[in-house]
Amino acid sequence: MNHSAYRFLHSRWPSGILVLLFTFAFGASGMAGVWDEGDPANGEQLFNANCAYCHYINKEVLAAPGLGGIKDRWSASEELLVLWIQNPQKAAESGDPYIKSLVERYVPTYGWMAAQAVNEDEIKDIMAYVQNPPGGGAEQVADAGDACPTIDEMYPEESSNSATIWFLILLVLFIIIAASASNVKRSLTNAYRESEGKNPLAQKTYVESLREWAWNNIVFVSIIGLFVTAYIVVIAYQSAMGIGVYEGYQPEQPIKFWHSIHVCENEVDCQYCHSTVAKSKHASIPSANVCMNCHKGIKNGSRWGEKEIGKIYTAIGFDPATGQYIEDYEEQPIEWNKVHNLPDHVYFNHSQHVAVAGLECQNCHGDVAKYKEGRIAPVEEINALVDEYPTLIQLSKPTLTMGWCIECHNKAEVDLASSGYYEEVHNRLKDDIRGNEELRRYLEDEEVTVKDLGGWECSKCHY
Amino acid sequence: MRSTYSLLFLLLGIILVGCTTNENSPGLEYMPDMYRSPAIEAYVDYGMDPYHFGEAQYDSLNSRLSARKPAPGTIAYSGNMMAFNMPYPYENTTDGYEAAGTELVSPLKVTKAHIERGQEIYEIMCIHCHGEKGEGNGAISTNGHIKGIPSYSGKLVDLSEGKMYHSITYGKGLMGSHASQINQMERWQVIQYVQVLQKGGSMPEFDENGNVVEGSGEAEASDAEEASSDEPSSETTM
Repeated sequence: MNHSAYRFLHSRWPSGILVLLFTFAFGASGMAGVWDEGDPANGEQLFNANCAYCHYINKEVLAAPGLGGIKDRWSASEELLVLWIQNPQKAAESGDPYIKSLVERYVPTYGWMAAQAVNEDEIKDIMAYVQNPPGGGAEQVADAGDACPTIDEMYPEESSNSATIWFLILLVLFIIIAASASNVKRSLTNAYRESEGKNPLAQKTYVESLREWAWNNIVFVSIIGLFVTAYIVVIAYQSAMGIGVYEGYQPEQPIKFWHSIHVCENEVDCQYCHSTVAKSKHASIPSANVCMNCHKGIKNGSRWGEKEIGKIYTAIGFDPATGQYIEDYEEQPIEWNKVHNLPDHVYFNHSQHVAVAGLECQNCHGDVAKYKEGRIAPVEEINALVDEYPTLIQLSKPTLTMGWCIECHNKAEVDLASSGYYEEVHNRLKDDIRGNEELRRYLEDEEVTVKDLGGWECSKCHY
Repeated sequence: MRSTYSLLFLLLGIILVGCTTNENSPGLEYMPDMYRSPAIEAYVDYGMDPYHFGEAQYDSLNSRLSARKPAPGTIAYSGNMMAFNMPYPYENTTDGYEAAGTELVSPLKVTKAHIERGQEIYEIMCIHCHGEKGEGNGAISTNGHIKGIPSYSGKLVDLSEGKMYHSITYGKGLMGSHASQINQMERWQVIQYVQVLQKGGSMPEFDENGNVVEGSGEAEASDAEEASSDEPSSETTM
């Protein structure tokens, strides 16, 4: 349907030439009203469908000059405007000086405008819209933010820190009260002894009186002491187990790049930016040219406007006002902070896990579509995703620790026939007598796991 | 004596306050020199790590990433994939675009495997702008960020494969160059899938070797007939 309409409109070129001849024969007054007869509402739809890809309706440059003020600039005839839109090359052949200047100025940089399948009435509508856009031509962006909560909004931070502070304040208050109470008690005792005519008690330090009190209540003090010791041991053990655990690490980045905006709101695939993840050891941090694939056109962010996106332009040398790269610009690298950092003595390969094992990114990185900047997902958060990703393997050790790696290697089943990668092993286990014996040993627990195939050998990851 | 007790309280206080979470800190590391080693690794700015280097080296290494561009004029060697590593001969100009459109043809035969791989690549690299069926209605378009993306089965229905290849390599209009994300073979594979979308998105018929059955999915006149015969195959591949 679309196709035939297209063909039909293209067949109108000869009539375009007729219009042109008509114009030349009868002067520029042959047709009137391109500028002010159209219907702006219909024009808006047509503009968005046909023109908005390259033209803004203000004067800024997108992939072609903006259409703002076009009526004042267009010094050729109205018929030529129609022809220019319907077939730019034909219009250029007319030899009109204004068209010639347009071609010389813009075609070398932006290329020829594609011939647009719009008729004269539709052009009138578009021109009516371009001259009087509702809202002054500001870029209207749908806010999809509500449908895409970030993980911070879903799990507000627990206020355990303030509890600790209150505990400390209460402790200090208790000590002050206990000390002043003992002072009061001593003064009262001394006053009593004085009235009885005895000598006042010897002046004792707090520590001495504390020790005396402790000796008098030795059972109580021992039990409390036992609890305090146990508490300190537990805390010390926990903080020792936290060494080298990065769960929740989310360093600030030079650009406020939110994964939720890109992945959830705009449905960009993980592999669009991390494009080497199935081919290489590294998932790859996209270089600025990958950002520019979209941000050449998207110059205003939904959260911080031009501020954060402008940092890409500074890095790569792009002038958003002209839509052109600046020549001989000294590019400045964007210094992202590395989030997932394995020790140097560990070998890890992304492609092995993505291309061969077929793991989803979420298996190890959690629900990145809800993240702001990149972060390391705690293992509990990943385990909770099992409803959405049925193949996900639930683990108990903290993410990115060795315990976590080998726990998964022990649990993960390998489908030997699924990819060509295991072809040789598969044939050996299937056809060879010794291979059969080996297979029987693998299958003692009724599954072939990564561990069976050597996933627990030290030298697989450490060498 | 007194100082011993106050020390103990101080220690207890530190332990309690130490249990805060700071997203900007990676936490304690066991032997940090094992985590941040002097060996060359990707995405490490050695200049940021004065831990290993003296002042002089620090200055010379600052802001130099380990990732480097290949020397100019080199051609990657990858065995039988050689044909896909040759430099692209057309220039990034209007003339180059037209020339590629008329002269450049795919070295890949149209097969089921290539089209399906092309679909995978399409769904990673193209879908967020061009939309599931190539109608220009991906999320970025419907969210109003980039409007008026042309449809493969509409405005771009006659677009030749050479022009597609040229556009993926250099970019076109608002679309940037995807040469760094899609290698040359993948570009031809995704083009095979885009050509399916140009014909409305229904897969052509394949024989048992995965080759396209002659005449299927090509003639426009047999659109209705095709749609009915293709339904099962398109369901299985979707």
